Amino acid sequence: MHQNSILLLFFFLMGIALIVFTYIFFSSKKADQGMSNPLKKRFWFFLILVFILGIFASVTIPNSPYFAHAGETPAKVVHVAAAQFIFYMSEQAIDPAKPSGHPIELPANEVVEFRVTSLDVNHGFAIYDETGRLITQTQAMPGYVNRLRYKFDQPGKYHVLCLEYCGIAHQIMRTSFTVN
Amino acid sequence: MYKSFVFFALIVLLTHSSSAQSFSDAMKEEINIYQKIYDAPLQVAGKPPASFKEFYSQQPFVLALVFTRCVGICSPFLVNLKETIQLQPFEKDFKIIVVSFDPWDTADEMELLARNLGLKSDPKWIFAVTDSIDQMNRSLGFDPVWDSVRMQFDHDALLVGINGDGYITKKLIGLRERNELNQLVASIHNVFSPTYRLPNPNILFSCFNYDPISGKNKPGLGLAFLALPAVMAVGVLLIVSMSVRKRKIL
Amino acid sequence: MESIKIKKITSVWIITVLVLFVASIVLGILMRLNQGGALNQAPINFYSNMTIHGLTMIGIWFVAGMAGINFLMERYVKTSYKANLTAFILTVIGVVMLWVITLVGKFHVAWTFLYPMPFKIMWAKWATPAFLVAMSILSIGWLIWSISMMTQILKKYSIAQAFAWQHFTKDPSVKTPPFILISMITLVGVITCLFVAVVLMALYFAEFLSKGSFVNDALLMKNLTYFFGHTIANEMLYLGLAVLYELFAEVGGKAKWQTSWYVALAWNFTLIFILTAFFHHLYMDFVQPEGFQIIGQLASYMASLPAAAVTVFSVWVAVYRTKIKWSLTNLLFFIGVAGWVIGGFGAVIDATISNNVVLHNTLWVPAHFHSYNVMGNVLFSLAFFYWFSIQFTEKVVNERLSKLVLSLLIIGGAGFLLAFYLGGADSIPRRYSNYPAEFTSAKPLALVGAAFATVYLIPILILFVTITKRCIKVLFSSR
Repeated sequence: MHQNSILLLFFFLMGIALIVFTYIFFSSKKADQGMSNPLKKRFWFFLILVFILGIFASVTIPNSPYFAHAGETPAKVVHVAAAQFIFYMSEQAIDPAKPSGHPIELPANEVVEFRVTSLDVNHGFAIYDETGRLITQTQAMPGYVNRLRYKFDQPGKYHVLCLEYCGIAHQIMRTSFTVN
Repeated sequence: MYKSFVFFALIVLLTHSSSAQSFSDAMKEEINIYQKIYDAPLQVAGKPPASFKEFYSQQPFVLALVFTRCVGICSPFLVNLKETIQLQPFEKDFKIIVVSFDPWDTADEMELLARNLGLKSDPKWIFAVTDSIDQMNRSLGFDPVWDSVRMQFDHDALLVGINGDGYITKKLIGLRERNELNQLVASIHNVFSPTYRLPNPNILFSCFNYDPISGKNKPGLGLAFLALPAVMAVGVLLIVSMSVRKRKIL
Repeated sequence: MESIKIKKITSVWIITVLVLFVASIVLGILMRLNQGGALNQAPINFYSNMTIHGLTMIGIWFVAGMAGINFLMERYVKTSYKANLTAFILTVIGVVMLWVITLVGKFHVAWTFLYPMPFKIMWAKWATPAFLVAMSILSIGWLIWSISMMTQILKKYSIAQAFAWQHFTKDPSVKTPPFILISMITLVGVITCLFVAVVLMALYFAEFLSKGSFVNDALLMKNLTYFFGHTIANEMLYLGLAVLYELFAEVGGKAKWQTSWYVALAWNFTLIFILTAFFHHLYMDFVQPEGFQIIGQLASYMASLPAAAVTVFSVWVAVYRTKIKWSLTNLLFFIGVAGWVIGGFGAVIDATISNNVVLHNTLWVPAHFHSYNVMGNVLFSLAFFYWFSIQFTEKVVNERLSKLVLSLLIIGGAGFLLAFYLGGADSIPRRYSNYPAEFTSAKPLALVGAAFATVYLIPILILFVTITKRCIKVLFSSR
């Protein structure tokens, strides 16, 4: 899973850093002439960093959510209006003057689109699967519509939590939908 | 230039008199997005009957809804659309289907409208009537109201984007900027843009504004606000340096 | 005469920062305890605490860095005591106002005060205008201070020299000390982001005073908020680094570091990248133009490069197989660099858009920024505080106490941060006063975090007592 590989990568990098720092610290106890040719080493160190980060960027940027399922027509569109401290979800457009929603069912293995906006402050629209994993998200901003496309491959109940601090009941602002 | 300004003023006046633009109205464009358009039969003067499906299965189109006896927005709205397209043609090809939502309109009256607009021989433009106005309106979420005193429909100037599968990809209400038309045309060709701005009156300080005349994406006043602090910092740096170092700055 | 004044004002800064630091740590521990279910605060109190915890921490470590470079800058140029004092008075007024606004007025918008939340009144009515006034006072006070310091540098060095551009030539006639270079780069960044704060406050005031006829654009306001907030949080780390460049070698009994062409280049680039990296706060706002998002990812990567490659490597070179006089000061620096690097890894991972989609506003975010504060920048500033406190008083150093302090800092800090990282990888949201039941690991992790934060608080209290005692002596001495 995505989060697990992130954590693994982080621990790996942290481990390397700890080893290097510890090694260098203890090397000062048995001092001799210091690092030979540090300028040249620093140059290589810098180049390797640039190289690694360059690869990392070129691999990850195309996977950005803005480009997901861009060329497809979604099988279903869900309008989302977030407001303190409730989500309205509807297959019809939501009128901000009298917002209302209804239970949402979505098809599995087909592209669906969430059109997310906010009626007051900034909110988050984060989709969690049944095991409590965050699978995707976008923000809800007043005056704008964010379009989040996603293909659910697992049927089940999904939860939506607010992930942008929006006030006193932020922690209980939530809704859910089912994927069949 | 002068003409389009007059139209702009006129349309702003008209849209404000019929329906002031508020946030609530902005959400109207969300109604029935990605629903399929009702496959209404269409009658074009001097042509065999067809339906929406026969058009969109050949090429995506933009649908404009008008009625010929309209004394308000319909005519300036179409003229503006025509001029916008002629001024700077879109890269990808598409048709514009103008359909009347007035049961009294005939195919001949629509042809006359086309001729008056100088669009009769333009293959991009199709002027048609349908006998299934209610079903069509319902599938588009379009809701004109007959005003029996003024003998006119109270209605939005609506453009609807229909893609090659007959889905409503985007709607625009009222006179809109070129870039929003670009987005509409892109949407019927299934070009995805992850976001768009809801029409609202407070765009003074938005980060990006669109120039409807040149069709270019212009940095808005808001972007200037993002750049301003950096410029101010450099300015302070230079001014301070000049004032404390009489001889040379660098 | 002048040097006594600077000693005294620096002592006052240090004492103020430490008092507020201890108070804010306590608020932080209370927050984690509440999240863990050991306390039962009303959400409004939790979020008010959270707001003042964030505002105070950002504020104090920024002024700690500023006070540090101001004191050390006296070695190169004369600085303005008046500006320093003005900044102090305005900071105290601003901070006191903020504590009253949040704790009495129950103003709870989080330290990021995302527009339009300050206008959706859910607190005492006076709190919103008072907050805007307090933020303006702080911005103006700090602006005066930074521009004054920049002015003093420019009296001695030209712009080109201050930015060390002459080091790009073969044999530079004038050498720019790294301390001056980094201070200059950082001050320009600080001045920029304080101007952003001024613009932001002006827009807030415009809307507030117009009574609804002028409404701001939410996207612009969010950009401005993070331009200010992210940048100042980032620059304060560089203030700490400037102090490190000046003192690390000196305390270890080594020759002072020199500026070379690539040090100059790296820091000049840092100025550019640091001003565009804030875009990564808006990754999940799909409304932001895609170009900005990609610039955000690249700038976030690049911002880490020069600083890491130059600073980290310099520290390694200075230590590797070199006889060095280890003391609490340079050990704090050394550990701080390690913490900064590790936090940097967490940050680079999160600054990757495709990862951000599952990390944005989870506990991963406080995990990484607490890393390079709790185990990075705070240690840099504490190193300076400690070094400062033993300059003018008896130099009797208790070795055992130092070892205890360092061990507890590392154990407490590591455990506290690990609870955040694990929570982030477990998709637990940040800024929740209470966790929904489905996050089974959330409460235990919060309690673990609170326990380790308490361990971290012990050495902070020890340092607080020893440093404050010495600083009070400096304050009342006539030399």
